[in-house]
Amino acid sequence: MSIELRLSRASRIYRPSEPLEGKIIVKSPSSISHYGIRLTLNGSVNLQVRGGSAGVIESFYGVVKPIPILKKSVEVRPSGKIGPGTAEIPFSMILRQPGEDNLERFYETFHGANISIQYLVSVDIMRGYLHKTISTTVEFIVESDAADLFERPVSPEMVIFYITQDTQRHPLLAELKSGGFRVTGKMSTQFSLSDPITGELTVEASALPICSIDIHLLRVESVLLGERIVTETSLIQTTQIADGDVCHNMTLPIYVILPRLLTCPTILAGPFSIEFKACIVISFQSELSKLHSKSDPTSPRLWIAMETLPLELVRTR
Amino acid sequence: MEFKPRNYNAQREAHALPLVRTDGHPLSAPPSHHPQVDAVDNDHNDFFDPLRGLADNATDCKEDVQELESTSREASSQLPTKEWMSFKRFLMQKFPVSKMVSISSMSNVIMKGVKVAEKSLTSTHLEELEDPEKCAEDGVKVVTRQEYISRLHELKDEINRAWHANDRVTSLKLAIKVARLLMDTSVLHFYPTLFVLSMDIMDMLGDMVWERIKWKAEFAEDGTRLFSLPENFQARDICSDAKETCNNWFCKIGSICELLPRIYLELALLPCWRFLVDQPEDSLHRLVMMTRGLSDPLASAYCRLYMAHCAQKLPRSDTGYLVKCVNDINIQLMRIISAREMTHRNSTDNKRLLFSLMEPTIEYIMKSIFKDASKSQVSNVLVELGSRRNQVELFGSLQCISMVLHHLLKELPAEVVTSNAMEILHIIECSNDYSFDQCLNYRLLGFRLSERRSQMDIIHDVVDKVIQVLSQNSSLDEYLKIVDAYVDIVLQNQMDNHLNTILGGILNRACNKAVAEDELESLQTILMKLLNHFKGLEDVFALNHFLEILDIMHGSSRSFVNMHILNLATRNSSISDPTTIQLLFEISQALHDDLDFLNAKGDDNQPARLISRFVHMVDYSSELERHLTFLVECRGAFGNLNELKETLVHSSNCLAIKALKDAKKHLSFVKSCIAFGEVTLPSISAQIKQLNLYLETAEVALVCGLVSHSDGLIDSAISCLLSLDCVDGSRTTDIEGILSAIQKLFCLLIMVPGNPEQGVTYFANNILALVNSSSWMTPAMRTRIFCTTLTLTATLSQNKLPYHAVHGEIFGNDLLFFGDSSYLHELVLLSESVLQNVVDSIQKEPSPAGRGCIALEACNCIASSFVVSPEISQICSKLIETAKSCLSANDKYLQSTIKFLDKNLRAPVVAVSSVAV
Repeated sequence: MSIELRLSRASRIYRPSEPLEGKIIVKSPSSISHYGIRLTLNGSVNLQVRGGSAGVIESFYGVVKPIPILKKSVEVRPSGKIGPGTAEIPFSMILRQPGEDNLERFYETFHGANISIQYLVSVDIMRGYLHKTISTTVEFIVESDAADLFERPVSPEMVIFYITQDTQRHPLLAELKSGGFRVTGKMSTQFSLSDPITGELTVEASALPICSIDIHLLRVESVLLGERIVTETSLIQTTQIADGDVCHNMTLPIYVILPRLLTCPTILAGPFSIEFKACIVISFQSELSKLHSKSDPTSPRLWIAMETLPLELVRTR
Repeated sequence: MEFKPRNYNAQREAHALPLVRTDGHPLSAPPSHHPQVDAVDNDHNDFFDPLRGLADNATDCKEDVQELESTSREASSQLPTKEWMSFKRFLMQKFPVSKMVSISSMSNVIMKGVKVAEKSLTSTHLEELEDPEKCAEDGVKVVTRQEYISRLHELKDEINRAWHANDRVTSLKLAIKVARLLMDTSVLHFYPTLFVLSMDIMDMLGDMVWERIKWKAEFAEDGTRLFSLPENFQARDICSDAKETCNNWFCKIGSICELLPRIYLELALLPCWRFLVDQPEDSLHRLVMMTRGLSDPLASAYCRLYMAHCAQKLPRSDTGYLVKCVNDINIQLMRIISAREMTHRNSTDNKRLLFSLMEPTIEYIMKSIFKDASKSQVSNVLVELGSRRNQVELFGSLQCISMVLHHLLKELPAEVVTSNAMEILHIIECSNDYSFDQCLNYRLLGFRLSERRSQMDIIHDVVDKVIQVLSQNSSLDEYLKIVDAYVDIVLQNQMDNHLNTILGGILNRACNKAVAEDELESLQTILMKLLNHFKGLEDVFALNHFLEILDIMHGSSRSFVNMHILNLATRNSSISDPTTIQLLFEISQALHDDLDFLNAKGDDNQPARLISRFVHMVDYSSELERHLTFLVECRGAFGNLNELKETLVHSSNCLAIKALKDAKKHLSFVKSCIAFGEVTLPSISAQIKQLNLYLETAEVALVCGLVSHSDGLIDSAISCLLSLDCVDGSRTTDIEGILSAIQKLFCLLIMVPGNPEQGVTYFANNILALVNSSSWMTPAMRTRIFCTTLTLTATLSQNKLPYHAVHGEIFGNDLLFFGDSSYLHELVLLSESVLQNVVDSIQKEPSPAGRGCIALEACNCIASSFVVSPEISQICSKLIETAKSCLSANDKYLQSTIKFLDKNLRAPVVAVSSVAV
């Protein structure tokens, strides 16, 4: 006996104003009698605080109380019987009733380190006391409604950056400090989630040969814990744009596709906030770097120069 | 027995065909004024005489060819895969790989990672192979090439298997691992092979993804076909589900951290962009830019190569992206070249290796750029390559690495090269780096220029400039390489002063050193070009330095040139200029001295034939003595050539006859000619040829009135025949040839005055004795010789011989023995003994058909030689009987022979034949 929830969209992406549609597929060799089939929608912001920036006491608690967004339950079938073989039960549920007062905004689905915003649909076939309830759960993905969306920025905002030995706040190798280097470029910082990060970068000068230039995509998750805000920055994705000592004065493109689920529109809510940053890291060839190969790529090192730019991600039509 | 009297003159007249003078040559073209022919030509215009091509036909033909070419070009563009396949094969073969490949720790990690995923036999074996000590030392490991390759094949199979097991994520992961292998360029020689193998895997993955998304677009989830995508579909034709899948693929690829595998995989999936957007070319341009981030020249060059390959899968692609690639390669190479040795630990040798590894990629990209590019496209490409503002000066500021320039020059359309020759020359002059030999670029320009006729002034400027550049080059090899390319242009435009300079330059650079093998090769082609250009050899010999240059050559190249010279010299009718003869004689001597070397290769003896032909062609006209001296010299100089000796005898015989025709004096000269022949003849080893030459010389001696010489020569001929028997072990000799030589000897004997002391039938008897004693002679051959003897005796018995020696002082036997009964008696005696032998030998012939034939032959011969007598008719009827028993009654020869006998022998034969029937 098996049960499966199949949503109408392969991508499982729905907007709050749209009905969630699909089928419950029950396969069974014999007929099943039940006390009703119930479909439950559940959406919430789950917060947790791990060690590091959190204090000792808070770390005991770990999990902060989740913030509910959506909770709905509907009986799709009254009690009865399902015949043997494969049975398909179609369903359709409106996520947000117009005029209905919701618990919270429909944040977009996000899977982070400390914060995750998740929407689940589950089905339960209740079979009384003697039998176990048969159930299954599927995650669906929520993207913002067209009505709530920004107008697409006419010209994506480009930030011009330049990275030299003088813009670095951490100590550098002596030859780098004295010989100097200069990397300039521009990058879009406000753009649609469906678009890649674009821009360009030029190595104008460098005293040491370059080993690699990477764009690190970082998420900054902040959780309000009592009076304090606990913020943690973590790495989502690394994209190399230069491998080795590239020619100077040659424009290299920056092109980073945002990973789904791991990114969402920038949120600055009361109890929590989710922000993103891009960090351009230039690592220079150095014997020292070989000794520290496994370390966090964004931590400041003698042979590394970096520039971090805040991003504003938006959902566009 | 009595010989039949014959009147040869009357018979000749009776049998002669009537001769009528004609107006036209039978082989000449039919006269056009002939009305009938005209009409035929007009009516049948489609008639095409291949030998007599009409003007309009020829143009039709050319158009056809052009059409064919264009269609074939279309076909080839439709099948870029075929080209790619051959290119891949070329890549793998061009760089031979040593057995072991060292792989850096980076790719080794990948190998290991794969191993963990699936412990195959080879991978465990690989582990065993890994030398832990070495690994610890420098992070480099060594595997055999074969194992590396088989591991790649395994990976390919794994990807395929995972895909078909619906585990596409694993397929992608493995493909990324394969692409990562390409980051390690330390394998150097192995890199092209690695590239080709990895590309197969990338292409396979790309095709699978394409098929899957296409399937999603065409079929519903339950497998029913919704519609079929047209070849030129648009992004809007694709359902959102398929688009979603496609987008996912690009997202997955986009999340690859390393640059190189990310680029490779996106290239593999490049055609899939068509499902999402209508301008997939935009992605291509971005990828070109992204490739700039690869600093390793080898990795980026091959990445661009793959880009050129993948872009061909897009329906329409302009070549702009490739031009950008070339520009980027240019910049990258310039950086390598300008980098000081101190900063780069690569030595120049390493860089050269690097360049040679990169060369195929540049070649392929250049080819792709100019493949069916129109004229305007070409100039656009050039403008972009040089990033110039205007099109007026196409090559204005183009600065190229010489290797890039070389392949650009190779692919440029000929008209662009000719019209911009000076600019190109300037660029070549500027691009002197070690990525490519500058002299090869000069050389290529020369070849490209000679493809088309171009304006005189441009050509003059170019050649002036090149000569000037050449004058500063002291290397013979480079000098020759460049000159080789320009010599055609110089010759075609009659730049005689330049030719002088060039030849002088060659000599200057070559005189003080040994000429190396490849220099000889260039020298050879240059000399060949000179030889083929001038009409007469005298013109070539008259060139300054030509002969001196010929002198500095050696070995097979020199022989080759010498042979070519001789070939040219002997193409005309005769060689009479004494200096030319002397030069050719020296050339022949040189060739003769090198001959052993040529013989060793087992070639057919072309040089010997050429020398003989040259000797044959020599003509001193009236200076006969000098000619004879020349022949004597030749005999001395070319002692090893058998063929030549024959020519020498022929020539001396010709000289004797010529002297005879002059009629003034010269008996002593003729004697010396004959003596020359007599001396030369014994050393000829080919016996049949020797035999024929003895006869020829004997005849000449006879004609010149030297009876004793001729007798001696005939004796020699007969002893030559005798020795033929002894020496000839194998039966493959030319029996027919020997027979005809003997028959010829008999013909000669008619003219030879009989020697009363030895008996008039002395020679004939000798030959017959030889025939009887030679075991190798076939019965048919014997019979024929006997018949000839009969004819000879019958002829000699006549009162007037059919022909005489031309010489006035020699009398034929008809005059010498007129009415001499003992003479006649001797002849009859001979013929009687022969007659008996004839009948006997016919019976010995094994094959019935052959027996019938020779019986008829003998019968004819006997019937025409003798007056009818019972004895003769008995023999004849016996022969006819033999023939009838062997041949069918309808045989034409048999019937005509019976008719002939009827006429000559009357009654008896009829009786016999009736009995026989």
